[in-house]
Amino acid sequence: MIKIQKEDFNSEEEINKIKKLYSNTGAVTSFVGYVRDYNNNNKVQSINLEVYERMAHKQFKKIISEAKSRWNLLDCLIIHRYGKLNVNSKIVLVTCFSEHRKDSFESCNFIMEFLKKDAPFWKNEFYNKENQWLTNFN
Amino acid sequence: MKIKYFAWIKEITSSEEEEINSSKIKNLDQLKFFIITKYPDLKKHLNKEILRFAVNQEYVVENIDLNMGDEIAVFPPVSGG
Repeated sequence: MIKIQKEDFNSEEEINKIKKLYSNTGAVTSFVGYVRDYNNNNKVQSINLEVYERMAHKQFKKIISEAKSRWNLLDCLIIHRYGKLNVNSKIVLVTCFSEHRKDSFESCNFIMEFLKKDAPFWKNEFYNKENQWLTNFN
Repeated sequence: MKIKYFAWIKEITSSEEEEINSSKIKNLDQLKFFIITKYPDLKKHLNKEILRFAVNQEYVVENIDLNMGDEIAVFPPVSGG
């Protein structure tokens, strides 16, 4: 399942909605990304996250399909927020569901690596008096 | 065809998207030439290979042919997650 939204979400509720569809789930691995309070030696006030939504949907669909072809997965969930997000807000949730832990661990990392490198989102970070567009380096 | 601009690229183009109907733009290289001519401040970013291009929501690196109904996106390296 793919969700690209402004609103916050409850990770556990979102995970349980999918988990209850598969009684053979033995392993669930999740990554949650948050807005940090310090970056580039500056105190962060908030970020504005821009998205190319149509491309993000298409690319998420492709990467989930690729992950399912590489690992034994029951399902994958990606929720990525956009818009204005304050410090401590959730940005992203990636969750992979499988029978065994290796598949969920490795696929979750694989999806996150893709997401940091290629998913069409851009952070504009706001400090006290200035702002800066960020680039992911790792 | 429609061209969409994202993040700080928009600050250079002063627009989020534009429609282009030119018989001179038949491939991605010609489109790149068009945008750096119209927005000279983009040239240095193109030369440093900072700009990313997507055609119909797929990354494109090579010089592919473009069609009238295509949606082309121009953006900087991403920073999601």
